[in-house]
Amino acid sequence: MTESFARQCSVVFLLIVISLQASLITASSTDTPKRIISLAPNITEILFELGVDDRLVGVSSFCDYPEAAKQKAKIGGFSNPSLEAVVALRPDLVLLTHDGNPKAFEERLRSMNIHTLVIQSRKISDLPQSIRQIGAEVGSRDKAERLAVDIEKRLNDYRAKELLAGAHEKSPKKKKVLFIIWPDPLIVAGPGTTTHEALTLLGLENISGRTSTAYPKYSIEEILRQAPDVIFIGKGNGMDKVADGLLRRLNTVPAVRNGRVFYVSDYLYRLGPRTLNGVDELAAHLKKP
Amino acid sequence: MKNIKVRITFIILMPIIIFFVSLMAGATTINPFTPDMVSREILFSIRAPRSIVAILMGMALGASGAVLQGILKNPLADPYILGISSGASLAAALGIMAGAAFLGTFTIPFLAFIGALATGIMVGIMGWQRGGLWPERILLAGVGLSFLFSAMLMLIMSISSDEGLRRAMLWIFGDLSMSEWPKVPYGLVFVAAGISVSLFRAKALNALILGDELAYSLGFSPRRERLVLFVSVGLLTAASVSLGGMIGFIGLLVPHIMRFFIGSDNRLLVPCSALGGGALLCIADVISRSVLPPIELPAGIVTAIIGSPYFLYLLRRKNVLSI
Repeated sequence: MTESFARQCSVVFLLIVISLQASLITASSTDTPKRIISLAPNITEILFELGVDDRLVGVSSFCDYPEAAKQKAKIGGFSNPSLEAVVALRPDLVLLTHDGNPKAFEERLRSMNIHTLVIQSRKISDLPQSIRQIGAEVGSRDKAERLAVDIEKRLNDYRAKELLAGAHEKSPKKKKVLFIIWPDPLIVAGPGTTTHEALTLLGLENISGRTSTAYPKYSIEEILRQAPDVIFIGKGNGMDKVADGLLRRLNTVPAVRNGRVFYVSDYLYRLGPRTLNGVDELAAHLKKP
Repeated sequence: MKNIKVRITFIILMPIIIFFVSLMAGATTINPFTPDMVSREILFSIRAPRSIVAILMGMALGASGAVLQGILKNPLADPYILGISSGASLAAALGIMAGAAFLGTFTIPFLAFIGALATGIMVGIMGWQRGGLWPERILLAGVGLSFLFSAMLMLIMSISSDEGLRRAMLWIFGDLSMSEWPKVPYGLVFVAAGISVSLFRAKALNALILGDELAYSLGFSPRRERLVLFVSVGLLTAASVSLGGMIGFIGLLVPHIMRFFIGSDNRLLVPCSALGGGALLCIADVISRSVLPPIELPAGIVTAIIGSPYFLYLLRRKNVLSI
């Protein structure tokens, strides 16, 4: 009994060694990776945009866009991916994000001689650079360059508009705005978030921009006092119902009084190809009379 | 004797003073005598209900802690040991995830209350044997259910990617920021009822601590008294959880702090623990919203951070009194 068990163990061990060696060989023998795993939804979106989705063999369970991403093999969550699931897919490149994936996980993969790339960007202005970096790594430089240039152009358009508006008015008084991530408990977008950057890009003053954390639990009293002109509410399950109670309590704030509360999509929560659509969406709401 | 009268006057005055301080202090200081438009609104529709809810919740926790330590004859008993808060959190989390909204903003507190009551009844059933409630059985049933419900809650949280779970976390860390006026009468009814029952039965509680035989010879029916007191603790805890989630420390340690000052006669201890709990939670909430404006900290964390050192200081200075 014990002998057969020992034999089985040795066979399993041998198989592991062989598969590890196989992955080593594929990693070193070719330049462009053939089996890519993405551990973050924004990276998955970028890979699809670069047209390398046929080589994408695994994604996190949070990768839900585009639709085809849902069909890919899942390797676990965003903050808790499964090491076994990743290794079992024999990847020759694993893409991770600095902003959410555990650092120890990347170190572990590297110690097993699996090639990794950690995307560092947190700001929209860093996004083009990250896309170029991914493009170079997966062998899709041209497409990455085109996507990066497109994003840079759209960003610059907004910056130019903002400069013009600033030069136009004598004393530019910025509109005060608040972006609510979740109404109960009240969590808002603070400094260092993509959302905050988007608001600044549009020439708005984020009233929670001077807090010390990215997603602070905010004081209702302070919203009443700072009286934002516009309130954006991010996407969430049954959000309008949840937000109702909060808005009722804020009914003296100009944004609520003047009907300038807008429900927006979750584009800004992901630093990827769709982030600028989120900025466009905010801009479109602001243009409304 | 004169000394104790001074102490009791102090304990009665403290929540009243803290309540008025709480109206002035916050992210911005408000002078309640000359408020402008915005300040008036902050004062009446945000701070006042919030402070009242904090006091009610603290009172419920303090009183139920004192009663529970008595009926279980255990200095480590606190309202949460009965698993009531875990049951409430689980019901609230399930409601949040299912998107339940049949009572508007009251839905989740209502579900939490139902979860708390259901858990209390389950603990009661399991603690019941041979026509009465048994302290050890109640404790063990509570601990067992508490583990089960916490594990179920963690299981849901670890397999779900639902954003609404942020709200479920609120029940675990305790939060008073969304307190509104409609919560006040509802809280008041349960807290007043629970504390009155405990007060009327305080003499019986004193007798219970002496042991069932002695209580019996003093003319109390230990089984009946324990049941009545257990129901009042269950209601108090259920009401407190639905008012603001789980706030630790108060139920466990405020009764002990009060024992240092006024002794362990439950006729004094129960009301004083209620007042002390109310004062402590209210001041903790003031601190939680004032130290890092406009960011708010969870009140439960502040309660333990200011309460524990004070408790430890008293522990070194005074003789420990038994329940």
